[in-house]
Amino acid sequence: MRGVREGAGVPALVLMASLIGVGGLARDIGYPMWAGVLSTVLVWAGPAQVLLFGSIAAGASLTAVALAVCLSSIRFLPMTVSIIPLLRGPGVGTLRLLLAAHMVAVTAWTEGIRRLPPMPQAERWPWFMGFAVTVMAAAALATGAGYYLIGALQPALAAALLFTTPMFFTASLAAGCRTPADWTALGLGFALAPVSTLLFGADFDLLATGVIGGTVAYLIQHRTARGAAS
Amino acid sequence: MSLAALEHLSGGLWPYLVVVLFGFLPTEIWRVAGVFAAKNLQAESQFLIWVRLVASALVAGVVAKLLISPSGALAIVPIWGRLGALGLGFIAFLLFRRSIFAGLLTGEAAILAAGWWATPVP
Repeated sequence: MRGVREGAGVPALVLMASLIGVGGLARDIGYPMWAGVLSTVLVWAGPAQVLLFGSIAAGASLTAVALAVCLSSIRFLPMTVSIIPLLRGPGVGTLRLLLAAHMVAVTAWTEGIRRLPPMPQAERWPWFMGFAVTVMAAAALATGAGYYLIGALQPALAAALLFTTPMFFTASLAAGCRTPADWTALGLGFALAPVSTLLFGADFDLLATGVIGGTVAYLIQHRTARGAAS
Repeated sequence: MSLAALEHLSGGLWPYLVVVLFGFLPTEIWRVAGVFAAKNLQAESQFLIWVRLVASALVAGVVAKLLISPSGALAIVPIWGRLGALGLGFIAFLLFRRSIFAGLLTGEAAILAAGWWATPVP
C-alpha cells in the first residue's frame, strides 16, 4: 500500500502531464479514445506511443512503424535486467516477474532503482507493483482526458506539461545517484545523446549513448576502486 | 494474410489491433527478454553494475533527446529556454537537498516564463 501512496504523488502527476499528449495524437489519426488508453496500458512507453501514432499520422508503413517502435524500446532490456534481481526472491515466481517487467518504463525504473535496495525483499514486489499500477492508472486517465483536452490548451501551458517529463526524469535520476560512476553515466548520457544522433542515426543513437556512456562510467569506477585497493 | 485483408476483417477493432501488434508486441519483447536474461544474475555482480550504468546513461539520453528535438507544443520554447529551465530546476533540486519536487516546481516556473516570452499573448 505504501507504493500506492508514493505513486499517487508527484510521479503520477508527471506521467499524467506527459501522456495527455498521446491522447491528442490518437485523436489526430482518427483512432477511438480507448485505443489511446489501451496503448498506455499495454505499450507503457511514452516515446514508443508517440512513435506509433506519430508515424501512422505521417503515413509510414506499419511494418516500418513496428521496427521503429521495437528499436526505440531496446532500452527496456538493460532496464529490466538491472531491476529484476532486486525484485525476485521467495514467493516471486516468473509470472510475477513478468508482470513487474511489464511495468518497467522510465518512471517506475528510476523510482524502483532508487527505492528498492534498502527495502526488505518481501516488501519489494508489492511496493513496486503498487507504485507502478497507480502511476499507470493515472497515466491511462490522462490519455483519455488528453484525447478531448489537448487542442484547447494555451501553447505555453501545453509546453509546460510536456516539460514535466524531462525535468522529473533528470531530478529522479540524480536523486538515485550514489557513486561517482552514477553521475558520470548520467552526465555522459546527456552529453552524448545529440552527438550519437549525428553519428549513429535516430534508430541506434540511444543504444550507442547508453553503451558508451555506461561503459566509460563503469571503467572509471573500476579503475578508481582498483587504485584505492592497491 | 496481408495487412490490408486483416484491416478489412477486423473492421472497427483495427485501431486496437494496431496498438497490440505494432505497439505492444515490439516493446514487450525486450521486457520479457530482460526477465530471462536476468535469471542467473546476482544483484551485486559486476556485469549488473555495468548494465545499470548503461541503462542510466540511456535514460539520460532519452531526456536529452526530449529536450533537443521535442515533439509538439514544447517546440515553441526555444532551445535555450528548454535547457535553461532544466538547468535552473536542477540547481533548485541540489539546493533543496535533492528535492525532486523543488526541482520540478522551479523548472516548470522557468519553462512557463520562457513559453510566455516566446508566444506573446495577443
